Amino acid sequence: MKSLKIIFSIILISHFISAEQLYSDLSIQEQQRLEYLSDNIRCPKCSYGNISSSNAPISKDLKKEIAQMIKDGYTDDEIFNLLANRYGDYIILKTTPSNNKLIFILPLMIFLISIFLVTTYTIKKSK
Amino acid sequence: MQFDFFGNALLALSTLLYGVVFSSVVLNKNRSASVKLMHATTGILAICIIYLSYQFLTDNFQFLYVFENSNTLLPVFYKFSALWSAHEGSFLLMIFMLALCGSINSVIIKNDRDLQFSNAVLSFIAFFYLVFLSLTSNPFQVFPYLPANGVDLNPLLQDPLLIIHPPMLFFGYVFYAVVFSFVISGIFNKFNEGLIQILKVWSGIAWATLSVGILLGSMWAYYELGWGGYWFWDPVENVALLPWLAGTAFTHSLIFHKNKVLMSWMVFLGILAFLLSVMGSFIVRSGIINSVHAFASDPSRGVFLLSLFGLFSLASFAIFFWKSEKLSSAWPKINSKSYLILLNNIILMTILVVVFIGTLYPIFNEIWYGQKISIGPNYYSDLITPLVFLLILVFTYEQFFKQKFNYKYFLIIILLFAAYLVLHLFYEISFGLFAGYLFLGILLMRLGFFVYAKKPIAAHKIAGHLSVVALTTAILFNYEYSQKVDLVLKPNDSIQFMDTEIEFLGIEIVADQNFDSVVGNFQITSNDNVYQLASEKRVYKIGGVITSETGIKSLINRDFLIVLGDRFNDGSWSLRYSIKYGIMLIWLSSISLILSMLYGVVRRYEQ
Amino acid sequence: MEWYVGMSSRFAIVGFSFFLLFLVSSFYFFLTTDREVAAIQNQEGKKLELIDDLYDLDGKKIDINTITEGKVLLNVWASWCITCLVEHPFLKEITQDKDVRLIGISYKDLPENAERYLEKNGNPYVFSISDFNGSFSLKLGVTGAPETFLIIDGEIVKHRIGEVNLEVWNEKFKDYF
Repeated sequence: MKSLKIIFSIILISHFISAEQLYSDLSIQEQQRLEYLSDNIRCPKCSYGNISSSNAPISKDLKKEIAQMIKDGYTDDEIFNLLANRYGDYIILKTTPSNNKLIFILPLMIFLISIFLVTTYTIKKSK
Repeated sequence: MQFDFFGNALLALSTLLYGVVFSSVVLNKNRSASVKLMHATTGILAICIIYLSYQFLTDNFQFLYVFENSNTLLPVFYKFSALWSAHEGSFLLMIFMLALCGSINSVIIKNDRDLQFSNAVLSFIAFFYLVFLSLTSNPFQVFPYLPANGVDLNPLLQDPLLIIHPPMLFFGYVFYAVVFSFVISGIFNKFNEGLIQILKVWSGIAWATLSVGILLGSMWAYYELGWGGYWFWDPVENVALLPWLAGTAFTHSLIFHKNKVLMSWMVFLGILAFLLSVMGSFIVRSGIINSVHAFASDPSRGVFLLSLFGLFSLASFAIFFWKSEKLSSAWPKINSKSYLILLNNIILMTILVVVFIGTLYPIFNEIWYGQKISIGPNYYSDLITPLVFLLILVFTYEQFFKQKFNYKYFLIIILLFAAYLVLHLFYEISFGLFAGYLFLGILLMRLGFFVYAKKPIAAHKIAGHLSVVALTTAILFNYEYSQKVDLVLKPNDSIQFMDTEIEFLGIEIVADQNFDSVVGNFQITSNDNVYQLASEKRVYKIGGVITSETGIKSLINRDFLIVLGDRFNDGSWSLRYSIKYGIMLIWLSSISLILSMLYGVVRRYEQ
Repeated sequence: MEWYVGMSSRFAIVGFSFFLLFLVSSFYFFLTTDREVAAIQNQEGKKLELIDDLYDLDGKKIDINTITEGKVLLNVWASWCITCLVEHPFLKEITQDKDVRLIGISYKDLPENAERYLEKNGNPYVFSISDFNGSFSLKLGVTGAPETFLIIDGEIVKHRIGEVNLEVWNEKFKDYF
């Protein structure tokens, strides 16, 4: 069974990192923040892709800058805002409900209303 | 720029013939001749394709299309596939496929009325696409002189996966056009048992083909792009997903026919799947959205394709409106399978709405606010993940619905639940994965029941749904456990990350015909198993483009990826090392999903 | 009740058709109108943020007032950048013909390579700020070379991403000189 194999592999993972890393002066939490931030910021020079998957020099510079900002105590939101101010909203790949209410609410409304209408109508017709 | 007479004459002739087929059916004249004309047109288009292939194989660079996409040094295999490597050729191939489907129908389908209507719709579509091809993207443009050599086939396309990925998508679109043609026939005539069987077979083939196309694209992205991902919510990927979602809903909605409920909804889905594929070709070819797929865009083509989308929408909804009263719109009962399928359809449609909004909202935002924005992958995953779980819940319930709910099942489910609870507490399995395993267990049991009761006909349905759960679980598995890290390593040094040890064996400089490359050799040790992999950085001699070839080692449960970065002054290198879980499981469950559908189609066709 | 369902599906069809009409016309509008919306925002209208320690190619400390006072053209260049070499003659031309104070930013370049480049191709710059690791440029919003900023009293008035030639000059910068 495949899923058993999966479970065994999970057991084997021990959650520690002991490698010499490029951003080794960041703590593990800070490194995870760095990964999260660079996964959600678009490379400004490329046609597509975030800065963590891009090989463009500007992406590496930005990642270094973000690492520095994390060290300087900036919060995630502050870093997003700072970079959006510099390059425009286009580079932010994190879509939050607070800034984009319409596109989050619209599909949910469509879903709930149609489930409601269909179910009440079905119950009515079944009698 | 001139036009090749022979090629254009063939195109013009086939356009004309499609016009004749369409009008002969509509005017109700000489219908038996129209079938022969369909075959004749397929023949003419086949000659067109052979003629263009011949130019490729003989390096006739006088043809602009050959000049742009081929080269004397190209291997014969790629010269052949270069036919559909760009816009003009791929549309020609698509039209030929549409014609071929019409001819296949003419041989197989016995009901003459359905055949005639389907032929009329197909020739209507083919007629306009041929006009589009001849006027805006003519593959038979020629230079007044003969250039010495061609430019080259796009290097990205010199890859076996990418040779079959685009035509698979086109064929999926074409098959949905065929499904659409039979839906239109059903509106005019009647959705009788024979037509429903035809629809089931064609929509199964269309769905499987489109799925293969999407899967190949995903595999290509993973292995060639080397970003460690298999799905990026890139607009062009999404655009292929839209007809796929509508098609999935349509395939399920065919069951409504059994109790004659909600036929108009089924018709709507059939039309929608086709229209979304037409919209897809507009969005991709007009370059209206930024994407990783850089197609040569041309506004005149965009406007023409948009007009086609408008025309097809107008025509199909006018017919639908006109004939809608004829379609039975009875309502299902609350405790029926149909109601569950309806819920399933609503969930699929909501997923479609999410993908649609996410893909197109940047356009509207730009129109309204004059500002470009990006919709991040998290928008899709945040909204779609709960919907997929609801979907799984509904279809797991639905798969049990036929049988009486046996207390034995109930007991086993409780045991499974307890088992997973233990796993959850001790190994910190997240709720999502946990639920995934749970459904996997239930459906496996159901499959076991079918095999035990020797009812293989329905088993493919269970297998298909099981694959969906396995796929979802694999995706969650990948999402939860994958790890990546930036490392600095000197040759001959080694480093520990998670439960693996990476040893940097050394750097080699390799000179190739087109590029020089730096190859880093690595050895990964995990649980006493040793894996070797090589990661490359290439500098192309022409243009000096630097590309990275990610080193990937795939195992059944996880993959190791290494991207070679920059060299530092002290001789160490920066590396990006990732461990990706469940990639092979994602491929395997997708393949088993497609195979289940194909098995179902074959069974149905045999009957 | 039957007629009601029949009617409601007709309503739905009409409604959906209007939606399609809206979609098609939006696409048409989007496709045919000329919009100049850049994906990556430029830095126009922002204050020039400088750090204290700026050095020129010879290693001399730069007096910041020389950048923030009056009209200054900042040009990001590098010896490895091909497009910079393309625009170089035009930069020389405008500094000779017009009263333009052109200051360079040597972007991610070794000073000795930069000096050699200027010796070979001529030096239109009053001086060049050495930005070896690119951190000063990154804060400025530079995404690559070449880029050109028009700075008036410490404010970025114009920002060009890419090559400056006669056409771009006439369109963006001419009115200020």
